[in-house]
Amino acid sequence: MGSTGAGVSEPTETGTVEIVIRDLSKIFGQGAAAFHALSDIDLEIRTGEFFTLLGPSGCGKTTLLRVIAGFEQPSTGSLGINGKEVAGLGPNARPVNTVFQNYALFPHMTVAQNIGFGLKMQGRPRSEVEATTDEMLRLVKMEAMAERKPSEISGGQQQRVALARALAPRPRVLLLDEPLSALDLKLRKEMQGELKRLQTETGITFIFVTHDQEEALTMSDRIAVMSAGRILQLGSPHEIYHAPSERFVADFIGDTNFLDLPVASVDGSQATVTLPGGKETAARLPQGYLPVLGETVTTVIRPEQAQTVAPGQGDMDGVVENAVFFGTDTHVHLRLDDGQPFILRRQNIAEAREPAPGTRLGLTLSPGALRVLKG
Amino acid sequence: MFNRNFSVSRLPGFGAVAVFTFVMLYLPIIILVTFSFNAGVSQAQWEGFSLQWYQAAFQNDQVRDVSIRSLWLALAASGFATVLSTLAALGTTRVGRFPGQTMIYALINQPLMVPEIVTGVALLILVAFLKVQTGYTGMGYLVAAHTAFCIPFAYLPIRARLETMDITLEKAAADLYADHWQAFRYITLPLLVPGILAGFMLGFVISLDTVVITEFVKSAGQDTLPTYMLGQLRRTITPEMNAIATLFLALSLCIVTAFFVITRKRGT
Ligand SMILES: Nc1ncnc2c1ncn2[C@@H]1O[C@H](COP(=O)(O)OP(=O)(O)OP(=O)(O)O)[C@@H](O)[C@H]1O
Ligand SMILES: [Mg+2]
Repeated sequence: MGSTGAGVSEPTETGTVEIVIRDLSKIFGQGAAAFHALSDIDLEIRTGEFFTLLGPSGCGKTTLLRVIAGFEQPSTGSLGINGKEVAGLGPNARPVNTVFQNYALFPHMTVAQNIGFGLKMQGRPRSEVEATTDEMLRLVKMEAMAERKPSEISGGQQQRVALARALAPRPRVLLLDEPLSALDLKLRKEMQGELKRLQTETGITFIFVTHDQEEALTMSDRIAVMSAGRILQLGSPHEIYHAPSERFVADFIGDTNFLDLPVASVDGSQATVTLPGGKETAARLPQGYLPVLGETVTTVIRPEQAQTVAPGQGDMDGVVENAVFFGTDTHVHLRLDDGQPFILRRQNIAEAREPAPGTRLGLTLSPGALRVLKG
Repeated sequence: MFNRNFSVSRLPGFGAVAVFTFVMLYLPIIILVTFSFNAGVSQAQWEGFSLQWYQAAFQNDQVRDVSIRSLWLALAASGFATVLSTLAALGTTRVGRFPGQTMIYALINQPLMVPEIVTGVALLILVAFLKVQTGYTGMGYLVAAHTAFCIPFAYLPIRARLETMDITLEKAAADLYADHWQAFRYITLPLLVPGILAGFMLGFVISLDTVVITEFVKSAGQDTLPTYMLGQLRRTITPEMNAIATLFLALSLCIVTAFFVITRKRGT
């Protein structure tokens, strides 16, 4: 019945593990029509962290969220929440609440009734339901609209109510499926800050789904980058951005230069590669990968990790093909001496002119910026 | 797609056809209503305004009896039909797909296609057999027959409402610790109320209106308003019938109006 008592969260300690997922897969359909929406998912989500699932459309983010919420059951593998195996349990028996992409507010109830619904279903006493509802209304700054129906408030306000409704029963984990995608840019930025504030204030573990890489980078403690039902890389925004484990991750997050370069020497976690033009420079190797001497490896470097100098003075030279002014910075598209393209992001600190096409520039790479991708 | 500049109303003869259609639709009814207020007995000559035929109708015990029977029969039949239709609609929209689902859908709607006279004859045979076997000749047969007849009508708006309802609302309820019953009680049912009311009223009007089914199933002394009127009209046509028909029309209009008001609101 409603008084399952699920959703009560004890004071959280950071560093403990909230969700443990092992060898989980989800297969839709059978036989020849079987579709692996999730494969070999191994994941630990820590208590109180802001965890983001990031990936292109159709990669299985929503499916993973639905499996955690209990709307879908995993085909194989195990799923533990707060030390308890929950595979097989329905959504009403899990200490997890969801903020739905379309908000799914109950149209026949007022804002306050919406927020109090979860507590009511848990069989909490009336006084507690009312007190918590008031507290939640304050938390999302919707006190003035408590008696309105969802159809009488704006999209951003509906968003807040959906958030308050999911937070009211104090779940251990809050699942958010692209909750900001329906909002315009300005409101979206505002809600990003709001979400982060709510997460810090409540200490509840947030699992956030987005396909917006900037949103993921700015908000998350850790990010899992997904593609085709698999987790490709798991790490902090810094690690994901600066040390992508494979080409897909590097390409999906931010602008990236991929340079194919021959290996001159290998020394532990470092390799020396030969740049176009003949100069040698150090490139970091990913763990457990040792290229053969002379082998051509793919390296990555972000567009802001190179500076312009006079031709011949830097690590390599390039010829400007065109330059695009973005306000805060300018993107300079270059062609290196061996024909490979290179994008350079130059901050517009001084009011410098964009270099004209055909200009020859020298490029200095930031030390340690160049990384080798796993073959 | 339609050309926005094209309008049917510009076709030659549109006005004439429209007027003719409305006249055909409403002229008989207007005459009927008008002559229910006639002071004389004539159905063709106006002899002044009077409420005497209404008075006569109200004082006619038989009319009162059959009206009451009609109303409670319609109430009972559409009540049962609505409950059963609601269950059927939930069963065909809120459970996983099961083999034969489409066939069940078709079977529920099929009575709409079967000519009423066929249903009537079939019921006549069955009811005659049951009456002989059981000796029971009460109103139960009429209630059952009307209920069965009303089900497809009640089912349609309820199912339509369930199909357009956002299913994530029920998921959200489950996510917020509601069990199946609570999700139904607090989310599905309140949102379904307009559909249920619409289904009930549609069933009510259909039951109130049906002549053929009643004619074949009823035992002696079980006349409803329509079968009583039919019986009376076979003998003489009195303006009292006009008055009864007018009242009947007024009741149907009220119900149909309520139906529109309720279904209009479903959009919100
Ligand atoms: N019930 C289902 N039956 C069959 N296939 C499904 C089902 N649900 C999802 N899929 C498939 O699983 C894949 C992953 O879907 P999912 O909704 O998880 O993607 P997503 O990463 O959330 O994408 P988006 O960013 O577009 O929301 C898709 O290819 C989808 O077609
Ligand atoms: Mg999705």
